[in-house]
Amino acid sequence: MIWLTWRQFRAQAVTAVAALALFAILLAVTHPQLASLDVSTGLAGCHSGGCGRAANAFLGALSNLTPFGGPQAFRLLPDGANLYVIVYTVGILFILIAPAITGVFWGAPLIARELETGTVRLTWNQSVTRARWLTVKLALTGAAAMAVTEGFGLLQAWWAAPISRAVDLGGSVSVFSGSRFSPLNFATGGIAPLGYAAFGFALGVTAGLLIRRTVPAMALTLAIFVAVQVVMPLWIRPHLLPANQTTVALAAGHATFSHIGGATAITATAVPGQAGAWILSSGPVDAAGRAVSTLPAACAQAAGSGTPASGPTAGSPGDVLPCLASHGIREAVSYQPASHYWPLQLTETGIFLALALGLAGFCFWWLDRRRA
Amino acid sequence: MTAVIEAEGLGKRYRGQWALTDCTLSVPAGHVVGLVGLNGAGKTTLLSLATGMLAPTTGTIEVLGGRPAAGPAQLAKVGYLAQDAPVYPGLSVADHLKLGARLNPGWDDPLARRRIDQLDLDPGRKAGKLSGGQRAQLALTIALGKRPELLILDEPVASLDPLARREFLQDLMETVAEEQVNIVLSSHLISDLERVCDYLIVLADSRVQIAGPVDELLAAHHLLSGPRRDEGRLPAGMQVISGSHTDRQSTLLVRADGPVLDPAWTVSAVGMEDLVLAYMKQSAGRGRRDNRHLEALT
Amino acid sequence: MIEFHLDSRSGVAPYLQLIHQVRQALRLGLLHKGDQLPKVKDVAAGLAINPNTVLKAYRELEYEGLAAARPGVGTFVTGTLDGGSLAAHGPLRAELLRWLAKARRAGLDDESIEALFTSTFRSASEEDIA
Repeated sequence: MIWLTWRQFRAQAVTAVAALALFAILLAVTHPQLASLDVSTGLAGCHSGGCGRAANAFLGALSNLTPFGGPQAFRLLPDGANLYVIVYTVGILFILIAPAITGVFWGAPLIARELETGTVRLTWNQSVTRARWLTVKLALTGAAAMAVTEGFGLLQAWWAAPISRAVDLGGSVSVFSGSRFSPLNFATGGIAPLGYAAFGFALGVTAGLLIRRTVPAMALTLAIFVAVQVVMPLWIRPHLLPANQTTVALAAGHATFSHIGGATAITATAVPGQAGAWILSSGPVDAAGRAVSTLPAACAQAAGSGTPASGPTAGSPGDVLPCLASHGIREAVSYQPASHYWPLQLTETGIFLALALGLAGFCFWWLDRRRA
Repeated sequence: MTAVIEAEGLGKRYRGQWALTDCTLSVPAGHVVGLVGLNGAGKTTLLSLATGMLAPTTGTIEVLGGRPAAGPAQLAKVGYLAQDAPVYPGLSVADHLKLGARLNPGWDDPLARRRIDQLDLDPGRKAGKLSGGQRAQLALTIALGKRPELLILDEPVASLDPLARREFLQDLMETVAEEQVNIVLSSHLISDLERVCDYLIVLADSRVQIAGPVDELLAAHHLLSGPRRDEGRLPAGMQVISGSHTDRQSTLLVRADGPVLDPAWTVSAVGMEDLVLAYMKQSAGRGRRDNRHLEALT
Repeated sequence: MIEFHLDSRSGVAPYLQLIHQVRQALRLGLLHKGDQLPKVKDVAAGLAINPNTVLKAYRELEYEGLAAARPGVGTFVTGTLDGGSLAAHGPLRAELLRWLAKARRAGLDDESIEALFTSTFRSASEEDIA
């Protein structure tokens, strides 16, 4: 059964290995210059706090870099385009879509193809039970799917290590920015991709088993997978662990004021003492802790909020925020601290793995009822 | 002799329709069993129940004394050739033999290779490039390679040209003569079954109409023709299966326990085709089926 | 060794056809005492018929004393058909030719002659049994 699974999977495996190999070559070719910049900007040797300058210098140099030091060297890209930005983005993209690709192209056809072409009538009448058949197919192909995603993840992590270090130290230039909690970064970092790969694959297999036609199963798998990947960061991830609540003073650096089409919003941008925190929600509260929905009259003037037709006015925080602060208004913030990154990663991955196992178990149960 | 297939009140329902109802059979060993019926009569359903591809809705079925597909040992005893001989188009003939070897502990590789040689199949050829007859032969080789006690074939020659059909049946009969394998094959082509089967099961209207050794069945049925007579006025011990009447003459196909002694009747023997058609017509008459279905047999 | 053929349209059971062909071969001198009959496997494969059918025919021949099975080797002809060859029935043949000429003069066509012969033959056989 192992031989048969491998033989059926061979072509797909070759494609995956080729994709990983090409990616690895791309990264290997572009890494040396990255590494040398790491050293030359002083980022490599910088460990203590206050490395922000070195970090920004490194990232800045990286994003201004034309390939191999000269515009003539790499005619493939349009003038001014930055190879490192592209490679970094491509890597993130590969990690993001790998679980969907393996789920749709490896998971959905796994059973559906055999049901559709009728080859199950050959294989299920050899001396292997259906349970064993499914076990081997699920385990081997599922492990391969997870390995592919992890492969892209590890390659990217190796190549972008200096970039990650720079961003962690507070650097932020063009795409090389964003906290670890941003939807894109969270989904492509840590161990989350493994959970997605397992889930996407199990989802594909289940869809294929129930729908029994390859193409519709692929479509359904993609639709559900994308829906889950949208719902998770928006509504579920913020609540996976209890969030911390605190209030911060309304000062520039912690909060901003914005005025868009008549609605005013005061949002917190940072929590003092909680570097790298993930701010879930924030809103102004009065001294007693009650939410404030309308600005005091005095401050409203300073905000210039009498003109509904005006566009976003992020201006005069210098006026509005101190005015509000003088009225005893503070900003209540709900956030996940940086220390929750790994617990959140583990919890989310655990959920997806549990879903994957649940779907797999369902497949065994469904097959046992001999519906086919 | 233990029964090869033992079914009791077996029934299967899909999506509200009964594909097979109230099927009770005791198929003896040592025969080539023919299962005949119109398309949609329940042949594939019965065979799928026997291989464990489907689970019964009502009743029970036992194959070679065990529950179908109950485990690897049971699966090893029964070989199956599904309709249209499914194979993996991307795998070569040799790959398919390897499939058989890897998935069946009882695989007889020399036997399989000898068959492939005799059939002039190129081991390196992709199965998708084989002709219909060659695919059927490959699928038969895989089914036989594990040395099953029972070989079940679902319409093995239905989509083959006459030459391929003849060659397949020749090959099958040679196998029966050499090995001691029980065979159950389904078909809607009575002429093929006539040559090879010595036990017959007729399925019509999702039910077993009649089942038994061919010799006994043919001996027990007669074609009577004579002056017009009501079917109800026949002696006891005689059951009319089908009959047609003109104003002067009646022609009846009857099943009788003993010989027909009434001198008013001219008695002739019944061939398998007439027998099967008579039972189908009988059930069709009961079910008020469209006559077009009967033409499918010829 | 003789080769069998099957007429699937004749309405005669296959095993009877095989027996008939063996007897015919014996009469025509194609088979002699001691000759081997084709193997069951080869007949079944050649004609695409059930091996049991062949076995039945051979068993019937054995019962009639015309053949005997040697386990592991095959089935061999052991007897001849009494009545010798057709040539010995000269007088019967001549009488038959005369009768045929009479039937033609009476206006019977081929089919009527055959029907007359067959029905008379059958009823005579039944009388023999009864």
